[in-house]
Order: sequence, then structure tokens, then C-alpha cells
Amino acid sequence: MWGKGLIEGMRVTWKHFWGKKETVYYPEEKLPMTERFRGGHLVLDEKKCIGCKLCAMGCPNAAIEVTVEVDENKKRHPVKYVHDLGRCLYCDLCIEACPSKCISWDKNYEAASYFKEDMKYDAVAECRGREKQ
Amino acid sequence: MAQTEHYILNMGPQHPSTHGVLRVKVELDGERIVHCTPVMGYLHRGIEKLMESRTYTQCVPFTDRLDYVSSMNNNWAFCGAVEKLAGIEVPERAEYIRVICAELNRIASHQVFIGSLLIDLGAATGMIYAFRDREKVLDLFNIICGARMTCHYIRIGGVIKDAQDEFLKETQKFVDYVPQMLQEYDNLFTGNEIFMERLKGTSIITKEDALRFNMSGPNIRASGHEYDIRKIDSYGVYDRFDFQVPTGTKGDNWDRYRIRFEEIRESARIIQQALDSIPAGPYMAKVPKVLKPAKGDVYHRVENTRGELGFYIVSDGTTKPYRVHIHRPSFINLQALDTMCKGLLLADAVAAYATVDPLMGEVDC
Ligand code: SF4
Ligand code: SF4
Repeated sequence: MWGKGLIEGMRVTWKHFWGKKETVYYPEEKLPMTERFRGGHLVLDEKKCIGCKLCAMGCPNAAIEVTVEVDENKKRHPVKYVHDLGRCLYCDLCIEACPSKCISWDKNYEAASYFKEDMKYDAVAECRGREKQ
Repeated sequence: MAQTEHYILNMGPQHPSTHGVLRVKVELDGERIVHCTPVMGYLHRGIEKLMESRTYTQCVPFTDRLDYVSSMNNNWAFCGAVEKLAGIEVPERAEYIRVICAELNRIASHQVFIGSLLIDLGAATGMIYAFRDREKVLDLFNIICGARMTCHYIRIGGVIKDAQDEFLKETQKFVDYVPQMLQEYDNLFTGNEIFMERLKGTSIITKEDALRFNMSGPNIRASGHEYDIRKIDSYGVYDRFDFQVPTGTKGDNWDRYRIRFEEIRESARIIQQALDSIPAGPYMAKVPKVLKPAKGDVYHRVENTRGELGFYIVSDGTTKPYRVHIHRPSFINLQALDTMCKGLLLADAVAAYATVDPLMGEVDC
């Protein structure tokens, strides 16, 4: 009979009308991110970083720029660690390349910004800001 | 005597029903299509060229951006090619995890197909159902690799992280849900008379035409040609699983829709078998940090969700590929659009685009 399928479809829709909601009220309500989630800013541990620049070398899109300083004990420190979110592929290769395991993701997925310039940030400055708090 | 002219209409590149930035130049005689020419290149990023200046490891994330709704299959195709080139043996467990991820991705991609086909035909509600369930697969990817679409999970030599118990458990839950999900789709739209009448007998591609155009994937199977790389040139551990290759008879829009529908069922069967027999052990082979495959070239192909995806890589013995060429199924399948649409009404052309299921990221590369 023509129209039987239409009525069957209506029945499915009607059932869901009373069923459980599948969505959340973003931004009031946010879903938790998983343990392995890749996204947001790079959290740098300035003390652990040996300034080897392997992260920048491993990056396929040249999204990381590290400026290194050598102190009187011939130890290398990062003074600037600019990460350009606009170029980042979130591929994790930088984190995998780091020998001292001093970078990780902050898991913030709200990376949109009004201006292109705002997509760059200095991870060393962010690290110092965290320590001050 | 009054003279009439054919009217040229541009559909796209920003038309809501052309799936990304595809532009189709349609020559119309009244409502009927005389000719339609796909115009490509709006999403060209030069990925083949970019790969020449990246190391083999660095190339993998770029493959995510080809067919971005089935990135696992893309990763696998490239990594498989490099493994062949460098003679790397992939551990058992990694092969099983790859199969699970690739088939999950096939399901997710076919759900995008179903969803976008429905919305193109004007059934916005139906699209929400397909995308709701696709979300479940994307959540699984989020657990295993931390990304939902651009996974970059399958790497040269295996997979980057082991599959946790949580992932396997959740995957089992999803596989158990698949029959119920398909039943709901059947009730909601497969049986819908308007939907059937729009699709049945329209945009027919005969088997001869499909072969002539060198089509692959569900599109050629819908025309009745059983061509599936997983069967004819098996890779990974696909030869250990029992699954059918659904084929159509007529090659119309309806067949192309039904085939993908059945493929979801078969993919779920493969995942179930893989989950039942997944071995323990290492998930990554010993791959040298600086990968320098010997001089030579290689072609490796996999059954991507859209057809035969192949990577041709030429190595000059350095850390970077000398040349990469990508055989993209969407690009080739799209060539049949003119034959499919000739003589049809303009509104049916929209259904034809949707059932060919091109993905512009892959077409333009
Ligand atoms: S995630 Fe990838 S693209 Fe982004 S900074 Fe790290 S290596 Fe570069
Ligand atoms: S790889 Fe790690 S240790 Fe080396 S510069 Fe980058 S963040 Fe610092």
C-alpha cells in the first residue's frame, strides 16, 4: 500500500519525540574529553625542556618555533616557544618526538578566534604564568 | 520561428547540495539536463607535492586530509605502501586493530553518505539519525587516538597506541547496536515511498559504462561487478574474515544506496570477528627513527570507503619520497556524472551527486 512506509517513518519520529535527548546544552554543558584527546595549547614544562628543538624538527607543518638560550653552565633553555595553532595539524608528532616528555595538550577544544594573530601564543610565557598562580 | 538556447547553470562551488566545493556546469534544455561537467580544483592543496618535502613519517597526517571522513583507510593505504617499500613486517595485533578501525571508519563514512543523500532529497530529519549514530563511531576514535576525524592513528609499522580495553568494550557495544540501528533506518526511510520513487531507476550506470570509466568501490558494485580490493587483492588480515561483497543489479541510485546499507552490516560482521580473535602482543614494529627505504617504487592499494585508493611512491633512497601519486577513487567516480545525468530532470542530478558520494578533499587532493 502506498503510504505505509511514510506512516512507519512517522512512528519512529514520534517514539523519539518522547525519548531521551541525544544532545547537550553547549556551552553551558560540556562533554569531557578523553585521556588521549589531542587539541588546544601545548603545555610546556619549562624546567624539563632541554631546548633540543626536536619537536620543531618533527613538525610537518612548521608550526613550532623555539628560541633557545645557552646559560653559563652550557645548559640550553627555551626562552620563547611559539606555537601557531593556525598551522597545527594536531598530529601529535611533536609530543612523540620530545625526548624529555615535557609537552602535552591542555585539551581545550575551543580554539576559534577572531584574528589570525590570536592563534599564536608563547608556551614559555604560559608556563611562567601558571607558575606564578 | 522562435529559437531556443540551452541554458548554462552553475551548481556550486557554494551550493548546499554539492558536497563541498564541487562546481558542476549544467547545460539545461528547460528542466532537462543535456550535459553536465564537473569543475574541480577549488580545494586543491597540492598534497602530492607537499609530501615530496616531508619525511615519510611526516607525510602520514597529510593523508588524513584527503578523504577526511575515512582517514583511517587513508593512513593505512600510505603506511601500507611505505611498509612494502621498506620491507617492514607489521605485528599481528596491529593488523587486527587496523581492521577494526578501518571498518568502523567505513561505517561512519557510509553514514555520512546516507545522511547527505537524505538531506539532498529534502529529508533533513533522516540526516540527523545517520549523524547521531556516526557520532558513536567518532567517539570511539576519540577514545583510541584522541581525534575524531583526522585520526593519524595508523602509522608506518603498526598503530601508534595500543587499543585499550575500554575501546574494545565500547566497540563491542556499538557492534551490538548496529542491527537495531539499521532496522530503524529501514523503518524511517528505506521503506518511504517518496524516497524509493526518487531513487529507483534514476541515473543508471551500466556495468560496461562503469568499467569504461574505471569506477571502483560501491559505485561499480552497484552495477553488478564484484570488485573489492579486500577480496581480489587482500591486504592486512582481511583473508581471515568471512564476509560478503554486496552487489547490485541495475546500477541505479537505489542500488548504490542499498549497497552501502548492506556494507554497514558486513563491516559490523568483520569487526565482530576481529574483536573475537584479536591476539595480544606488540602493536608496533621496530621501525628505524630515520626511515630510508631503498631506491625503487611501489604501488599499494586498499579498499577505501569510496573505492580503490592507491599510493604510488618513488623512493630515491633518502628520507623523503621522490614522488608520490595518489589514485583517488572519488576523482575517477565523478567522471561518470555526465553519463548519469543526461536526460534527467535537474532535481535528480542532486540525487546523482549524492549517490556517487564524491569527497572534494580527495577529488582535488
Ligand atoms: S601537533 Fe603536529 S602540526 Fe601541531 S605542532 Fe605538533 S607536530 Fe606540529
Ligand atoms: S623536543 Fe621537548 S625538550 Fe626538545 S625543545 Fe621541544 S619541548 Fe623542549
